[in-house]
Amino acid sequence: MTHSTRRGVLGAAVALALGCTGLAAPAAAEDYPDGPITMLVGYAAGGQTDLVARATAKVMSEQLGVPINVVNKPGAGGAVAARELQKAKPDGYTVLFHANTVVNTAPFIMERVDFKPDDFEYAGMITAYQVGLVTQKGAPYDTLEEFVAWAKQNPGFSYGSLSPASRMYMEQIAKKEGLDVNIVPLKGGGDMINAILGHQVVLALSGGIHNKYPDEMKMVTALTSFRHPSDPDVLTIEENGYALGMDSRTTLILPKGTPRPVLEKLAGALKAAETDEGFKKIVAAANIPIMYLDVDQSAKEMADSYAKNKGIMESVGIVAK
Amino acid sequence: MEHLITGFQDVLTPGILVWVAVGVTLGYVLGALPGLGKATGVAVAIPLTLYLEPVAALGMLIGIAKGSAAGSAVSAILLNTPGEPSSAPTALDGYPLARQGKAQKALKMGLFASVIGDFVSTMILIGLAAPLASYALLIGPVELCAILLFSLTFVGGLSGGSLTKGLIAAAFGVFFATVGLEPETFIPRMTFGLLELEDGIALVPMAIGMLAVAEMTLQAGNMRALDVEAARISEGARREDRVVLASEWRRCVPVIARGTLIGSAVGILPGLGASVGSFLSYGATRRASATPEKYGTGMIEGVAAAESADNAVVPSSLVPLFALGIPGSVIAAILIAAFILHGLTPGPLMFKQQPRLVADVYASMICASLIMLVIGYTGQRIFAQVIKVPLRLIIPGVLLLCSVGAYLETGSVFSIYVMLFFALIGFFARKLDFSFVTFLIGFVIGPSLELTFRQSIQILDHDVANLPGHPIAIVFVFLTIATAVWTARSNGRLAAARARRTTKPCISKREGR
Repeated sequence: MTHSTRRGVLGAAVALALGCTGLAAPAAAEDYPDGPITMLVGYAAGGQTDLVARATAKVMSEQLGVPINVVNKPGAGGAVAARELQKAKPDGYTVLFHANTVVNTAPFIMERVDFKPDDFEYAGMITAYQVGLVTQKGAPYDTLEEFVAWAKQNPGFSYGSLSPASRMYMEQIAKKEGLDVNIVPLKGGGDMINAILGHQVVLALSGGIHNKYPDEMKMVTALTSFRHPSDPDVLTIEENGYALGMDSRTTLILPKGTPRPVLEKLAGALKAAETDEGFKKIVAAANIPIMYLDVDQSAKEMADSYAKNKGIMESVGIVAK
Repeated sequence: MEHLITGFQDVLTPGILVWVAVGVTLGYVLGALPGLGKATGVAVAIPLTLYLEPVAALGMLIGIAKGSAAGSAVSAILLNTPGEPSSAPTALDGYPLARQGKAQKALKMGLFASVIGDFVSTMILIGLAAPLASYALLIGPVELCAILLFSLTFVGGLSGGSLTKGLIAAAFGVFFATVGLEPETFIPRMTFGLLELEDGIALVPMAIGMLAVAEMTLQAGNMRALDVEAARISEGARREDRVVLASEWRRCVPVIARGTLIGSAVGILPGLGASVGSFLSYGATRRASATPEKYGTGMIEGVAAAESADNAVVPSSLVPLFALGIPGSVIAAILIAAFILHGLTPGPLMFKQQPRLVADVYASMICASLIMLVIGYTGQRIFAQVIKVPLRLIIPGVLLLCSVGAYLETGSVFSIYVMLFFALIGFFARKLDFSFVTFLIGFVIGPSLELTFRQSIQILDHDVANLPGHPIAIVFVFLTIATAVWTARSNGRLAAARARRTTKPCISKREGR
């Protein structure tokens, strides 16, 4: 055991030294894993994705019988960590746990990011983000349709935007309905809660955090292609007549060329989180739904969502900057 | 109230108290080591919190936050290298005191001010979290923008020597803060195509380079003279140089009270942070003083002002978290994760659903305050010996710690390059007598000021005529104007006083009045 662990460490060191030159022979997949795994996370420690990553790492570590070290590499919405992953040896000892937006959305927004689904391998997806447009609980509208009617009566209203995508949603709705909107830039989820609770904006994009405020906030439309498990009665943006639904899920991303058996092994360990009591408790407290997808499903989901998001961004004229 | 008693019963058990003490000690030591700080401590602690029980984990994280805020004064005073940016004003008077052989006095005052600020602010959190938080919601982007403008103007006067040079330094701070994604359209600004710069220049490596590495480089160049001076320092020879005298207490009590108040208010408001608190408090104390020109030469009040506010920010930044579930600071955001890890959601519901856990957290916060006093008091006797160590032994160690601290923040070598870049800037700022303090403030406030200004434009519907709907903002706009006028006038007086001092060197008697 000691010997094999040392080999793993040496292997990692060699991989680091060589970069991804592909000189090293691929590790024997049947022995995998025989050493610690490094799990990169593209957001800072303490955020929602980091939380799910750590909970996942714990379950997977128990399943695989090796330690999994979570390493935060924040920057550019995960693109810095994804670049780092591309440099790692495709042996399954370096993985990235991140929102799949880094591949299926970021390239359409950031000029410097040119990832394609084929640049990586995927060992499954575990949770989904419940993205939606939210407002104050006492607001005089419950649906997107009612909001549009209200907005026509109240020109110059304020909308809170967190990202290029959230700007895009409001610009599209405003263009179609002829609304007069002031788009207020917000920095992060905490700022968004402040703006809604403090009545600074009448509507804002939420990445799912609104579920923690059932007495203060409500969602008028989901921005995903599926209805949210936490709000099954609220229509999606597509059901409201806009073909703009974009899904994001936490995904286990690996360097291109990782052997299939390694992916299967990781996906098997990831699936265990689906039924793990500790994991379920943690994500339930944060109202994050578990939606497990295996190796093939996640590769298909990645390719499909990439194509779909590309179509949406092109149709609304968003150019990567 | 009875909950709080149960809270103490829960916390005053070895299983919990040990972790709170571990957190405070870890925080204090990391804070005292230049280059390391809260960020390092939290990085160490987060994996641990997965395995601890909720109260122990939260107690430890809070302990780290409190401990590092207090510990950062130690390196600021002894080595002129603040452990955290928020302790930069502590060094302004703390280091001169240390060079006068009064290191123990400065350290003690720093610790007492820290503990008092922290304790009072904790009490404010416990007693008033709910009403204060709902009041803080009234402070929207428009109000915040006015407050930031006021803070920037107020602290801008801190530059000391030349107001123009101070303003130039502040403008450079704002300039470097504009690197990164533009907040409204998300177009990268001055990133030169580097993904690492997309989120802007990180504060921690920047501050380490500017404050610690630059200072060490400068001291290395001046090593011989400083070592000769250190050998002459008869440290602790006289009792009045080691302890805080009753007369000094009398002068510092109002200063600490004001610092605590400023720190608590700054903590509750979103987007300001500990640095703004300590700088504001230091500035206010200097303004209120009859002898403002003496600040920067070893006034004990300067240490008390900076440290009381620095530490008061920590507990009060948890007010929005406990009352509304909004993270008011980095440590609060991490606490949210720790809460959720243990199946709890911070926010108003927490008081109803988990009153006992809230009481436990409160009790552990009070315990952390007291533990901090004990740890700090014991620790600084040891730390104070550093002043006698020759610089050639200190500098390499500090530089190593700086590199580690910068690296740990993002886990990439890029941070070390950022640190070295700003070390260079910091070095020349010192050599050419540009205030790195105002630079730092410009850097910290700049992005928030820009964001809130743009938010305000949208919220006011692009029309100044809508401003009367925001009376709090108007008050601060007038305060800003008043401060600008006042600064210009008092700076004129200050310059005159300085001119007199240089012609009559006999005034350079040590602090006293």
